Amino acid sequence: MKLEKLMRNVYFADRVLVTKSRYGSHYGEKIIDGFREWIPWRSKLAAMILKGHRVDFRGDERVLYLGAASGTTVSHLADIVDEGIIYAVEYSAKPFEKLLELVRERNNIIPLLFDASKPWKYSGIVEKVDFIYQDIAQKNQIEILESNAEFFLKEGGEVLIMVKARSIDSTAEPEEVFNEVLEVLSSRFEVLRHGTLEPYHKDHIFVHAKIF
Amino acid sequence: MRLKYNLWFGVYEDGKVERSSNLEESFLKAENEESLPFNIPDVGFEVFGGEEEYYTALRKTALAIAEKLVERELRREDKYVIALVKALEEVEESINMLNEKLEDIRVVKDSEIAEEFENKIEGLKNLRKKIEREIEEMMTKIAPNLTEIAGAKVAAKLLERAGSMERLVRFPASKIQVIGAEKSLYKAFARMKKGKKAKIPKHGIIFLHPFIRTLPKSKRGKMARFLAAKIAIAAKIDYFRGELDESLYESLRRRYEELRRK
Ligand SMILES: C[S@@+](CC[C@H](N)C(=O)[O-])C[C@H]1O[C@@H](n2cnc3c(N)ncnc32)[C@H](O)[C@@H]1O
Repeated sequence: MKLEKLMRNVYFADRVLVTKSRYGSHYGEKIIDGFREWIPWRSKLAAMILKGHRVDFRGDERVLYLGAASGTTVSHLADIVDEGIIYAVEYSAKPFEKLLELVRERNNIIPLLFDASKPWKYSGIVEKVDFIYQDIAQKNQIEILESNAEFFLKEGGEVLIMVKARSIDSTAEPEEVFNEVLEVLSSRFEVLRHGTLEPYHKDHIFVHAKIF
Repeated sequence: MRLKYNLWFGVYEDGKVERSSNLEESFLKAENEESLPFNIPDVGFEVFGGEEEYYTALRKTALAIAEKLVERELRREDKYVIALVKALEEVEESINMLNEKLEDIRVVKDSEIAEEFENKIEGLKNLRKKIEREIEEMMTKIAPNLTEIAGAKVAAKLLERAGSMERLVRFPASKIQVIGAEKSLYKAFARMKKGKKAKIPKHGIIFLHPFIRTLPKSKRGKMARFLAAKIAIAAKIDYFRGELDESLYESLRRRYEELRRK
């Protein structure tokens, strides 16, 4: 197997994106000799990496993850920050049930069945974090990001958000929506990078930013 | 000003932590209006005697709570009953429909097809019985008082209309009385709006209750009001306490006897 390192615990293994992991399959991904296939169609973070973008992780970060769903992306992120802690927030019980399977096998995920738009409700649980990852497909997702950043993001902390044009405004051109989002974000954050997730996720962009 | 913060493992005040004796309870009360001026683990590591101990306890508590909430949300037994009630209605409709078709066929010819219809209908009737039994069993379990006074069938239908036990207990008696009669209620309101005379329906689903059905028409309204009031009480007892209160049925029966004799 030919390995090419991309990021901490993230590799191309014979041209297939994988994370180094000692755990089994969580969502149907293949296991290859201590590596888990990371499917870009299922995970926006994988799509972002496949499009050539990198995020530097040391591995011991504290991460607040908003919109954990059933843990597809969380499972790979947990491989990456294997010495850190992920606070995984999700408000829908159905996908959360599946996420709990992941929580039981790992020791670095704290499951939080809460509404991410009410960060005060978990303010006595979540510590100050280095990183906020957000993928919630909500109209007011930037507002939600900002209030969570206010509560939990460390000085100089970073955010990585996935934006779906249609959930912010279903009638406007995606391009317009994205510009608007970048504009709003720039009042509190320094945008480090952004880009589309085509062809894996249509009309989506990611934005990687750092708080002032 | 004294600053007090609710943390998942207790209350932090004046630089000290009052450690909670029940972590699951304090976890759910860990709300604060504003961002904390300190980092929780800085306090927590000390309380739990180390980083590893801290995160082990946090993860364990969060998981226990999450499992409970998911359980309550997903396997809510009231949702199951609601699904069964809906299924039962469909099965009943199918039986009626098949019966009609069977008659249509039989009038013309007593064929093999007719026999197959009979078998199908027989099968559906068995299914109906099973669903009814399951509804009765579940209702007795989740709402013993409501089931005792309303009967499993009426109780389950009320629950189905309300959408959940939680919503049902918030309905006032006046609403419970007319659940299932909404159509005629709106019609009556519409007539009244136009200045016409209209009859306000006195009972919806609860009309299926034997204590109402078997009374003379003139007394049904009174009984319906009484029954609805008791149902409202029963549902609340079931939701908040869950124990059986025998006196409810007794008072209902007495009221029924009274009305019947008068
Ligand atoms: C696109 S999915 C996330 C997929 C996931 N990030 C992954 O890649 O595996 C969006 C999720 O956000 C959740 N969500 C939406 N609004 C939310 C809110 N206010 N609080 C918490 N979760 C929310 C939805 O229930 C849904 O599971």
